[in-house]
Order: sequence, then structure tokens, then C-alpha cells
Amino acid sequence: MSQIALELKDVKKTISKKEIIKGLSFNVKQGEVYGFIGPNGAGKTTTIRMIVGLMKLSDGDIKVLGKSIQSDYSEAAKNIGAIVENPELYPFMSGWKNLIHFANMYEGISKDRIREVVKLVGLEKVINDKVKKYSLGMRQRLGIAQAILHKPSVLILDEPTNGLDPAGIREIRQYIKDLAVKENVAVIISSHLLSEIELICDRIGIIKHGELISERSVNDQDDSKSEETKQKVLLDVEQVDHAEGILKELEIPVNREGGQLFVELTRQEVPGIVKQLVNKDIAIYTVATTKVTLEDEFLELTGGNVIE
Amino acid sequence: MSRFFKLLFNELMKIFVRKTTWVMYGILTVIVIAGIILTITTDQIETEYSDNWREELKQENENLAEENAEMKRGSEESGIDFGVTYFEEQINKNNYYLENDIKPLNYGAWQHVLDNAGLVSLISLFTIIIGSGIVSSEFRWGTIKLLLIRPVSRTMILASKFVAVLLFALFTLIFLWIVSFISGAIVFGFEGFNPSIVLQKAEGLVYVPLVGEVLTEYGYNLVNLVMMTTFAFMISTIFRNSSIAIGLGIFLMMGGNMVVQIFSEYDWAKFILFANTNLRQYETGNVWIDGMTLGFSITMLIIYFVVFIVLSWVFFNKRDVAGQ
Ligand SMILES: Nc1ncnc2c1ncn2[C@@H]1O[C@H](COP(=O)(O)OP(=O)(O)OP(=O)(O)O)[C@@H](O)[C@H]1O
Ligand SMILES: [Mg+2]
Repeated sequence: MSQIALELKDVKKTISKKEIIKGLSFNVKQGEVYGFIGPNGAGKTTTIRMIVGLMKLSDGDIKVLGKSIQSDYSEAAKNIGAIVENPELYPFMSGWKNLIHFANMYEGISKDRIREVVKLVGLEKVINDKVKKYSLGMRQRLGIAQAILHKPSVLILDEPTNGLDPAGIREIRQYIKDLAVKENVAVIISSHLLSEIELICDRIGIIKHGELISERSVNDQDDSKSEETKQKVLLDVEQVDHAEGILKELEIPVNREGGQLFVELTRQEVPGIVKQLVNKDIAIYTVATTKVTLEDEFLELTGGNVIE
Repeated sequence: MSRFFKLLFNELMKIFVRKTTWVMYGILTVIVIAGIILTITTDQIETEYSDNWREELKQENENLAEENAEMKRGSEESGIDFGVTYFEEQINKNNYYLENDIKPLNYGAWQHVLDNAGLVSLISLFTIIIGSGIVSSEFRWGTIKLLLIRPVSRTMILASKFVAVLLFALFTLIFLWIVSFISGAIVFGFEGFNPSIVLQKAEGLVYVPLVGEVLTEYGYNLVNLVMMTTFAFMISTIFRNSSIAIGLGIFLMMGGNMVVQIFSEYDWAKFILFANTNLRQYETGNVWIDGMTLGFSITMLIIYFVVFIVLSWVFFNKRDVAGQ
């Protein structure tokens, strides 16, 4: 049974008479990785700032493990770890001193725990160097280190893989998944890298103009495509013109893109079509269903982004 | 409570890990040493009195009287009246020693510490700089976002910052004492553990313990330090900008007296902060504005202090931390 770790209830935020967040509600369960996406200016950072207590709510409430950040701030904050936008640390101190500094703001974080976290984010070699000498990726790692020092139940990451190299991205992705699965941490990731979000998240919320316009599970996506719905199918064949003709005869709408054919078919229709083509001596290299990418869907849902 | 000490430790670490802080300590040391060199080379101070001190004092008085006469002549020619001069005061003191048959103290470590009390204004300057940056720098670095998301109230964070600034002033003060004392002891000698000297007070010349005098002299100077630092701290918390705070803080520290002088004809001038920061006026009896008392000044200082602190607190607590 996974319990709700973070709960937003009808959260509103008005800054200088402009309503920026217009009644936002969503829950993130323990052990869940939640992707928080939306076009520029949608209100992601504003929402995150409210969750971590940098901004006060105009209305509604936010609860962390059932504790309101408004009436029980310190209890709620104990269970939150976060990077808000860029991880800005003290440039004139070493990575180690930075971590000591933030560890001092909690009860009972041992030096061993700090060493463990340093190892986890792979900064052992440079931890005694001044942060101003760090590359962006090293800073990002140190940012993650300070966010998880106190073993929070809710981890909030604004663009966590920004500035990391491919190996680093994979490491951090694996690490975030581990945190969620093994330690039951609820992770909220805001990102613009939609493919990244898709790889890492269990559930996605799309926000636009301060409102949640869509929310769904990443894994459910395939199940929701039931047997009857049409899917885009890619056909890679030798005799493209010939094949196109055959399909047109069968009254199947076909799109030609480059040297490949795309048709809209239900799952059951696929074997029959393949058989027809084979019978006509068409050499088939690939038959694949193409997923509608999150990006397509995102753009469809959010439309062109008009910043209000 | 241990939580507060950990926060305080953090703030002090951030102050003392930075090079600018150590440059300040370097400047202070250089100035103390330069002062010693100046004293030795210009031979301003009669440092040694032998067993024959009575004769030496008389000789010194004759020299001083000569110089005084010269100065008087100079002032008559230029039309400026210097009033009671340093020379006359020194002559009076020497006479006091002679009349009471007290052997004057050889100049040494304690008196050197006392003479360096003026450097408290330099420490004020440093403390204003530190106090102006301690909140606003967190905004400039962006680290405020990592600071205010912890299970610690903003009030506690602000308090730890303010106390850290005062501790910085205290440490710097102790540093000044130690440097002055040690360098004084090495160069001029050590006067003993509880030496006394003759000083000019409101009630006339008095023979007092030097240690007490050191504490009062520094104490009087510290009033201005605390008030101006608190003021700069408030300004930087409200505007989140250290330049404005440093500028205003230093300007008012230097120009505060002038402000009072400009408005001294008005009755309300006594409510100006700077009319009250110099508590020495009640000891010397040279009160700036009629009707002011020590009690009045202390009340005014407390009111200003509380207002500064409350304003800092309100702005620090209520504000959203939005993007730059
Ligand atoms: N301090 C502020 N004062 C006034 N308006 C603000 C303030 N901060 C943000 N906004 C407005 O709030 C809206 C949401 O901003 P926010 O930074 O939350 O967007 P975002 O979703 O994080 O965008 P991005 O993807 O660009 O990071 C924007 O329209 C912005 O102009
Ligand atoms: Mg943002």
C-alpha cells in the first residue's frame, strides 16, 4: 500500500493581482516518480517554490506526509529535499563544507552519512575543492547530494539532469529510480526534456497557464490503446511504390515519408496486411508500431505556447 | 538551542572562510603596527620615567609650555581659538602627579590598547560591510533557495545571522586588543597587572585604574558600532542589496554628527539617533542638546534598535523568495 507523500489541494497563487496558479490539485504517492511538465511560464517553478516554502500560498494547502506546510512547516520541511532551478551553492567553500553547512540545518546527520552521499553522487575526488572550480555537472551532483542528505520522503528536482553528460544522466536516472523503488521516496521532476521524463517517470502531470490540463500514467499508455484503436504502423519494404499501390487498392490510407510507409491500423489488422504484402512478393524489412511520442501529445495538449 | 548554535556556526564559517574577512584582519594589524612606528619615530610619548621622574616631569612641562605658547601665538595670528590644548591638559596631568607624589606610569601595553580605541570605528566599518552582506549575499548567490527550505524558521535563520555579525565584531575587537597589547608590550613594555593613570574627567583630574578606563572607552565606541551595524543589516534585509546598505551605513556613521549639528536648533533633534549614540557626553558634561539625559539616550537607543530588528524581521519573514 503506497501512501500519499505529497498532496496539493486547490493551490492558488496570485502575484501582484495576477493569478499565476489557478487551483492546482494533485497527489504523488510514496515510491512514485512524478513528471511535472508544461511550457515556459506555465507555473512549474512557482508551484515548486510553494511546495518547498519559498513562497506563501494565496489559497489552498500543500501537505507532506499529511503535514501542512502552512501550519506545520518544520515537520513538513524535514521530509522535503529539493533543487529549485539551478543548484546554486556557496562558490567560495569546498563541496564538503557546503554539505556540512546544510547538514547542520537538520538533526542528526552524521559525517558517515555525508560521506555516503558524496560517494553516491560520485564526487569523492573533488569534494575538497572549492565549488567555484566545479563544472556544471559537478554542481548538479552536489545539488542532488544536498537534497538527499537527510533522506527526505519527497524529493523535488527542477531540471535534475541539466548539464550532465550522458553517463551522468543515466547514473542519476538509475539513482532516482532506486530512491523511489528501494527507499520509497516520492520524486517530483520538472523538466523540459520530455524523452527524459518519459524514461524516468511513472506518472505525468501537464500544466499550462497555472492549471493542470492532463494527468496520466506513463505505463498505462499502452494498455489504454485497446484492440480497436488505430495505431500508426511503419512499414519498411523493398518495393515502396508497389507496396503503396497494393495498400491503396485495399483502401487503407497510406502516408509515404522518405522511403518508408505509414498506415493507420488496429492491432488485429496487422497480420492480414503483412500476409497480403508477402503474397505479392514484397520484401518486408520492418513492421513496427510507432508510439505517439510524449512530445507530440504535449504539443497537441498545450498548443503553441503563448506566454500570457 | 543546539540547533541555533549550529546555525550560528554555519554563519561564522561563511564569514571566516572568505578571503575578504582575512584582508580586514590584515588591514587592522598593519594599522596598529604603523601606529607604533609613527609613535616611535616622532617620539611623541615620553615612554620612560626613571627614579628621577620628578625632574623629568618638570622638564617635560617646560617643553610643553613652550610649545603651547607657540601654538597660542599661532592661533592668535590665524584668529582660531583652540581652547584648552592638548599641551595644557598634559601639563595639568603632570602637575597632578607632582602634587600627589605619584610616579607616572611608563607608557606600555595597556595604554597602547587604550590609545587604539579609535580603531573601533574601523571595526565598525568592517562590521557594517559584513552585516550588509550577510542576508543580501544569499540572494545574490542564489543560495537563499537552499537556506529557506529547511526545517528551521526564518526567524531563527535571521537571528543566527544577526548574532553572527555581532560575534564577528566581538572577535575583531578581541583581535585588536590582543594585537595592540602584545605589540605594545614588546615595543613599550608592560605596566603591570592593574596600573592606574591620571585622566581628565568632567569632575576634573582623577587617578583611575587603566583597565576600567579601557573598557569604558571601548564601550562608548561600541554603541555606534552596534547601532550602525543593525541599521545596515536592516537596510540590506529590506532591499536585498549590500551596496545600498554599506553606502548608507558608512555615510551615516561618518556624517551622523553633522546631521545632528544641522538640526541642533530644533527641539526634535534630540530624537535623531546620532544625537544619542555618543554616551560620553554625559560623562564629560558636554551635552549636545539641552534637556537630554543618559536615561533618555538609552531609551532612544533601545527604541531605534528594536525598530531596526523588527523591520528586518518583518521583511525577511513575509517576503516570497521569487526568481531574480
Ligand atoms: N515574482 C514574480 N512576479 C510576477 N510574476 C511572476 C513572478 N514569478 C513568476 N511570475 C510569472 O508566473 C508565471 C509562471 O512562472 P514560472 O517561473 O512558475 O514558470 P515555469 O513553468 O517554471 O516556466 P519555465 O519553464 O520557463 O521555467 C509566469 O507567467 C511568470 O511571468
Ligand atoms: Mg521554471
